[in-house]
Amino acid sequence: MTVTAWLALVVFVAAYALIATEKVHRVKAALGGAAAMVIIGATRGHSAFFSESTGVDWNVVFLLLGMMIIVGVLRTTGIFEFVAIWAAKASKGRPFRMMALLVVITAVASALLDNVTTVLLIAPVTILVCDRVRISPIPFLLAEAMASNIGGTATLIGDPPNIIIASRAGFSFNDFLVHLAPLVVVLLVIFVGLCWLLWGRSLHIDPARAAALQGLRGRDAITDRALLGRLGGVLLLVLIGFATHTVHHIEPSLIAMLGAGASILVSKADQSDFLREVEWETLVFFAGLFIMVGALVEQGVIGQLAVALTGAVGDQYLAAAMVMLFGSAALSGIVDNIPYVATMSPLVLDLVGPAEGLPPPKQGVWWALALGADLGGNATAVGASANVVVTGIAKRNGHPISFWEFTKYGLVVTVVTIVAAAPYLYWRYYA
Amino acid sequence: MRARDLAEIVPTATRDTTGAEAVHIAAEYRLSALAVVGPEGLPIALLPGSQLLALVVPPYVRDDPQLAHVFSEDAAEEFCGRLASTTIGALIDEGMVSVKRLPAVGPDDTILEIATAMVEHHCPQVLVRDADGAMLGVVTLSRALAAIARLAGEDSPGLRTRLDVDLVDLPNLGHTGQDSMDAAAVSPADPVQRSGGGPNSGGGTP
Repeated sequence: MTVTAWLALVVFVAAYALIATEKVHRVKAALGGAAAMVIIGATRGHSAFFSESTGVDWNVVFLLLGMMIIVGVLRTTGIFEFVAIWAAKASKGRPFRMMALLVVITAVASALLDNVTTVLLIAPVTILVCDRVRISPIPFLLAEAMASNIGGTATLIGDPPNIIIASRAGFSFNDFLVHLAPLVVVLLVIFVGLCWLLWGRSLHIDPARAAALQGLRGRDAITDRALLGRLGGVLLLVLIGFATHTVHHIEPSLIAMLGAGASILVSKADQSDFLREVEWETLVFFAGLFIMVGALVEQGVIGQLAVALTGAVGDQYLAAAMVMLFGSAALSGIVDNIPYVATMSPLVLDLVGPAEGLPPPKQGVWWALALGADLGGNATAVGASANVVVTGIAKRNGHPISFWEFTKYGLVVTVVTIVAAAPYLYWRYYA
Repeated sequence: MRARDLAEIVPTATRDTTGAEAVHIAAEYRLSALAVVGPEGLPIALLPGSQLLALVVPPYVRDDPQLAHVFSEDAAEEFCGRLASTTIGALIDEGMVSVKRLPAVGPDDTILEIATAMVEHHCPQVLVRDADGAMLGVVTLSRALAAIARLAGEDSPGLRTRLDVDLVDLPNLGHTGQDSMDAAAVSPADPVQRSGGGPNSGGGTP
């Protein structure tokens, strides 16, 4: 490797360490790393801005931006609050039934929206419901954070790592539905069982307090039904747009941006409202991250690693997939799974190639990366953005969740779901 | 007009004042903000009316304002009742009340400096403090606006009254005049205390 390549590797490792240890904010670390890559000559403007393999993957950035705008407008309708309160009332004061319903709602919503948005919407209403019946919301919040990570695994748009994998490998929305969604349904059933063992069997609601749930007016959370109908239509069209990619060949990022534009038009939202809902920090973080990883690709560091890895793997793709599954799960528990997948995607691309025409044994490696990174995010309180958001909301509401309290449950859930995913991978791609 | 001319004496709260007592004081004396003083008599927080209102809004409703619509009348009023069981000190410790920056001016500061401090801190009241940090009184929004109106050439008996008479001495407050002040200040067990160390110590009547 050249001197510049070595320097790029040092910059990358240093920035990664700062992100993992949270010594500095992840946005500063990613942008600082990107700046350092420019200063050492590891990347230049054209590579950083106009090549998706060596720079910012604008498909990922604009897909996220589009979905953030759609969700930002949709959340003002109150539909999420309505559904969650309906679930609480339908449970008729049985705490495990309430937990199971909220878990399923969170998982389904997470498959259609990103995880962070889902928990931002579901966590406050969960605390409200628990407050009404005077029980601790912590078990519910933990279950919801984990359900969002499991549910988000099912679709291309469900979890940011999936968006990165889809863009790098060229997988479509339907590929995720066909390859990951069936497993996620099984994992969700298993997870509901785990919820019973971990929390459900010890939950109790005073019957006298349970009556307070019936007094909640979920319908009043929906302030504009006509708008809800119009936005529901837009979201449906966006999902149809994703699913029919093979017909029209419009990239998911553009479908999302068209949906964002349509949402703004039908809601007549002011730009200050819908732009406020955009997580600009996340988008800038992605851009910095892409430039850093792209510099490694440009300098041949990823290529060298891939050559070494290809030599080690040979044609043992089953072993590679299993190492990828378990290794990704372990690493994603320690560091945020977004930078992990951003780094691994170009490596896996060199190792097995893009999605089109890929034989099942090689495809399995990609899906192992997605499953490991998405499900591994459950392992610790910092494994996924949704976990961080939920623990923050819990703390703000006077119910702090310590790192270890999250982790002791998260590890169990991660081990069980990853062990359950392994035979699926074997049966689907290697049997 | 300087801050010392506009400062008036207002009732204050302490860390031991309950949330219910705090809103009671603000409501009864028509305060747009409530100062909280520490054991030494030095101000530790100034709670604008918006923060006092926020005391009844649970954090999860602040996170998702849509949830305010789902409560019945009884449930909504229940949140007000909870204020009786929490103190300002506890709310400060829980981060429910912000004490980061105290909007304050010096006694010689001008009306422009007072207005700027109110705008900068988004607070309808500023503390008037001396060089040692002791609280000489507060400039309320209504008195600052009255001063601005007079300086802009406006005049009326009501305007002059607002400039000359402190809020606590204005009539029809439930209690009136000095009686109300004494009622607010005398009992050691009563957490309500007057600012400025004693009656009229901060000036207020030009």
